[in-house]
Amino acid sequence: MSRFRHAVAAIAVCLATPFASAQDVKVHAYADLRLTDAANDPSFVNGGPGRLRYGSGDTQARFGAAALVVTAQFTPALFALADMQLQQTDHASPQLTEAFLRYRPVSLSAWRASIKGGLYFIPMSLENEGIGWTSPWTITPSAINSWVGEELRGLGVEGREAWRGESGTLDFGGGLFRHNDVAGNILAMRGWSLSDLVYGVGGRLREPSDDGTREQYAPFQSIGGRTGWYADTGWKSTNGLDVRVLRYDNGADPRAYRLYADGDKLFAWRTRFWSAGASYVTGPVTWIAQGMDGDTEVQPHQRTLLTHFQSAFLLAGWNRGAWRPTLRVERFRTWPSGERGRALTAALNWRPSDWLRLTGEWLHVDATRDDRADAGFSPHERGNQLQLLARVLY
Amino acid sequence: MRCLLAVATVLILGAAPARAGRVVIEVVDTNGHPVADAVVSLAPMPGTTSRTIPAATRYVDQKDETFLPYVTALHAGDSVIFRNSDNTRHHVYSFSDMVKFEYMLGPGESSPALLMKNPGNAAVGCNIHDQMLTYLYVTKDPEMATTDAQGRASIDGVNDGQYRAHAWHPQLRPGVTLPIQGVTVSEAAPATVRFNLALLPDPRGAMDREHIGY
Repeated sequence: MSRFRHAVAAIAVCLATPFASAQDVKVHAYADLRLTDAANDPSFVNGGPGRLRYGSGDTQARFGAAALVVTAQFTPALFALADMQLQQTDHASPQLTEAFLRYRPVSLSAWRASIKGGLYFIPMSLENEGIGWTSPWTITPSAINSWVGEELRGLGVEGREAWRGESGTLDFGGGLFRHNDVAGNILAMRGWSLSDLVYGVGGRLREPSDDGTREQYAPFQSIGGRTGWYADTGWKSTNGLDVRVLRYDNGADPRAYRLYADGDKLFAWRTRFWSAGASYVTGPVTWIAQGMDGDTEVQPHQRTLLTHFQSAFLLAGWNRGAWRPTLRVERFRTWPSGERGRALTAALNWRPSDWLRLTGEWLHVDATRDDRADAGFSPHERGNQLQLLARVLY
Repeated sequence: MRCLLAVATVLILGAAPARAGRVVIEVVDTNGHPVADAVVSLAPMPGTTSRTIPAATRYVDQKDETFLPYVTALHAGDSVIFRNSDNTRHHVYSFSDMVKFEYMLGPGESSPALLMKNPGNAAVGCNIHDQMLTYLYVTKDPEMATTDAQGRASIDGVNDGQYRAHAWHPQLRPGVTLPIQGVTVSEAAPATVRFNLALLPDPRGAMDREHIGY
């Protein structure tokens, strides 16, 4: 068992012991079924070149995902959360996606501080604010947040300070983390994806394969033992504007590697990026925009392979009570892989009751990537994915 | 004898109940939609004698991780009690300039009565459930009412005379001058006060089974 698994197991024990004695323990959950009409290219989930979750052009009913989120308020200031998910990739895969402790004492001044430790999402998504890091706007998150769900996590500690004024709240924070040294690998090897798959401890990301082999790796592991960091700041105004900026650097040693999958080397990827996002509420319409710009570097055999990546999206959601139509446009690219693409997502959400969400989503992607030719596909990918989802919430 | 009659006349006139009227209030937003939870208070103009309102105690409940009501209007000298009707703990607090306090309330517990000495407003939250938010609005004005979901309220028994009406809502832009308008109250017919408020978005976060708010 890796040191990371030991650390996660220790966190789980630390969380589980006082859970039993905590006064306020809550259980939240969801599970969904969906009818999907897939794009033609085989999905990356099955090692194919398609960047959507479902591929091979079939239409079928499927289990999508299920999550169990347990929270406990041990003391008025000490809070814990654990999120276990069952994700359906090319097999059913139970994973621990989050497990953290947060200490946030009350403050009778405008300033409020908190610290958090454990396994948690880096605070950069304005889109995925639902249970189990789902998006309440669409089934499939943007390319940026699809990647966050795949590869960006770590075992770390975060400090945060907020100033709460009459006009809004200014907060800034930062964290140190480990076990996120592989982040960036999938962007370089496969490119951007559009998928609501969320990986955690116990999950395995599959790399594209042109010979049918099944090469997969744990996305959250330490290779080289270095510590990464992030720093962010945000302003949430009373007029409905929420702006966030984040800088991430996993600090990985790009020459370090670990053997996996029949002796292949899994390298640490030195990944750095800026993320900037904003949401704005104008009457019944919520606008969300986010952009990311960064690079990831690996140095096998004294060579330096550097991949640049960029993506941005704009989402508009119309809040009409139980109904919420949503439209999202986005662009993405990596280079020198020659990947360049755009996607359009239209979703209609209906919440007939508090325990049920019904969503229909159409996703169109139009992209190119040079190495698709290695698998015998045209560099140009154009596909449509239709999903009808029924999600039961507890 | 004349002097005695004059004194008796003054006493009788002074003891007679003041004539009182009704004020009907309507508050809408810039799109003409009704605005709930707006507080409208009436301050007497010089020459108008207002009635004396005895101090009262108001309750703010916490149910389904929501403060009820969203806005509580109080006179300076009134008290407020926070009650927890949930089966989870709440940590009620405010760091406002008007009043600073914190109460840890277990299920079924109530806070001590908190005296509101000075006019102003206070945002009150729960440090455990960050999406919970309520407001206290305290005024020196003798007459006040809070609008319902239809944006309407009324005040009965207002002494006849001239008043200056103020409107307040927690979603008014910070620092904005409160809207004011004059109103004449008479026993003959109800006076109507209508405010049109430009409001910021509701600051309370969504809270349901999909938005668990951590």
